[in-house]
Amino acid sequence: MQNPYLPIPVVVSKIITEVETKDIKTFRLEFLNKEDEANFKYLPGQFAELSLYGKGESPIGIASSPTQPGYIEFTVQKAGVVTSTLHEIEEGTHMGVRGPLGNSWPIEYLEGKNIVVVGGGFAFTTLRSLINYMIHDDNRKRFGNITVIYGARTPGLLIYKDELAEWQKRSDINLNVTVDKGDASWKGREGFVPTVCKEVAPGSENAVTVICGPPVMIRFTLPVFFDLGFSKENIVTSLEMRMKCGIGKCGRCNVGNKYVCKDGPVFTLAELDKLTKEY
Amino acid sequence: MEKRYIKKDSLNGRVKKMAEAGLVYAPVKDGDNVLFQVLTPGMEPLTAYANSKNAPKNFFFPHTEKLMKYTRTEKGMAFSGELAEAREAVLFGVRPCDARSFVLLDMLFDQEKYRDPYYIARREKTTVISLACIHPPYTTCFCTSVAGGPTDAAGADILLTDLGDRYLVEFLTPKGEKLEAHFSGDKAGDEADARKQAIAAQAEQEITSRIPAKEIKPILDVNFEHPFWNTIHQKCLACGTCTYLCPTCHCFDISDEQKGDDGIRLRNWDSCMFPLFTLETSGHNPRPTQKERWRQRAMHKFKYYVDNFNAIACVGCGRCVMYCPVNIDIRKIVTDISKL
Repeated sequence: MQNPYLPIPVVVSKIITEVETKDIKTFRLEFLNKEDEANFKYLPGQFAELSLYGKGESPIGIASSPTQPGYIEFTVQKAGVVTSTLHEIEEGTHMGVRGPLGNSWPIEYLEGKNIVVVGGGFAFTTLRSLINYMIHDDNRKRFGNITVIYGARTPGLLIYKDELAEWQKRSDINLNVTVDKGDASWKGREGFVPTVCKEVAPGSENAVTVICGPPVMIRFTLPVFFDLGFSKENIVTSLEMRMKCGIGKCGRCNVGNKYVCKDGPVFTLAELDKLTKEY
Repeated sequence: MEKRYIKKDSLNGRVKKMAEAGLVYAPVKDGDNVLFQVLTPGMEPLTAYANSKNAPKNFFFPHTEKLMKYTRTEKGMAFSGELAEAREAVLFGVRPCDARSFVLLDMLFDQEKYRDPYYIARREKTTVISLACIHPPYTTCFCTSVAGGPTDAAGADILLTDLGDRYLVEFLTPKGEKLEAHFSGDKAGDEADARKQAIAAQAEQEITSRIPAKEIKPILDVNFEHPFWNTIHQKCLACGTCTYLCPTCHCFDISDEQKGDDGIRLRNWDSCMFPLFTLETSGHNPRPTQKERWRQRAMHKFKYYVDNFNAIACVGCGRCVMYCPVNIDIRKIVTDISKL
């Protein structure tokens, strides 16, 4: 019987400090055993439990895309015991990964549709996975127009800056990066995410919005998409809850009768409407 | 499946004999309590007792257990694999309510997608011998309200029913049949069924607590925000006694411990009654007060489990009613919900 509680051994092959406050880093992990890599089949939107010596586990969304073979990536904010320790480690460290866990962004449903990706702050990680997945040569033609609206409070808090610059050059993705407040060197857009969405979002016809961000951003952005005629079935988001087992048994991350770890983390607004608001 | 009679006064000796041959957990007297313990020479297994203080779920889902161990290496950590601790065992003297809890826990731990190897290994290697309640012991017993019954066989591999002068032994599963040699006796015919039915009917009649547990699911479906939830938690101390004694409560925590270069990952019982259960690193808590935690407990047992597994996650043993230090009574809660 496969043991869903056992982590897979990995080595940290690369650490990137993403933001000027230095509290968000991306960790690239490579599998120590090649067969583990082959077995780790995932889709954008899924997460995994990261394991550190003596500290325990922390559930983190997978920031890399399955179209990037050889490694998986996690972008982690320094917050609790595990993530703070993670921020102290160096490249070459051996640690554990348990997953992939949870459902994914609804890839099949997204196919053939125009996709609007809306991200705020550090909650851009599994959205980045989705974007890289969709714009990969093998997949790009399966999706319609791709519009991305990504915002952070300041330019220094934007993550994946190199990648954003590359996407900016592409003609098959409409990237809109915004900051709440720019600085002297900032030449890009200033403004809150909901305002930018109002300006650049396409019509709701044959379109799906995938949105992830702080609650306040989501609260003010949703009405923009409702006004554009997006139905609740076509607005998709991802929930976070305190988790332990990640497989729907330990009993803490349920919203109504659904477990965020097992039945989520991805839900449409229509699905969330049927659940209680306990998250 | 086969049925037999054994002499009433022979049961105790048979259980002790089984304990000589292998690992047997049985109810024994421990101070003022009855607890399930490993039966060792000199100990007397109880065959006539009300019910154990603790539910016997811990033999499949221990209070604390190692999920794995690992070692610190120069480069970080290396996993040393899982620890298999399951041994062949007999769990003797389980009351039907508690035996039924095993069936309910199986639904969660033995799901198609994620099977829990620790729980399942113990389940597979343990033979459950149930002891029917001829006279349901407590006024707080309400098994008949939650799809159980005092002489029910659910969850048992062998069911023993006291017929007055002798026990009726029913071998219910292949696992139970393997213990057949320990229960040698006269073959029981169809007359045993009639006798048992009469006893079962009498036992069921003796259960005085009846609550509308099966009727409240549609009410819970639409009353998540009802002011009723402001009332039940107010005297709750959040001690967690109800969840620890509950045969079906299964929530757990996973934590790591380290000593020198050796680390272990443990799973420990946890409780939805505790504030830390859902507290997130950010400080946000989706169940911030005891109100939400009590609502979760009631909803999980009488709605969510029904939604997910088509079964109420309560066996009517009454332990939470008996041992709650502030007398919160799940029977009253269920009854009040039925009137919302």
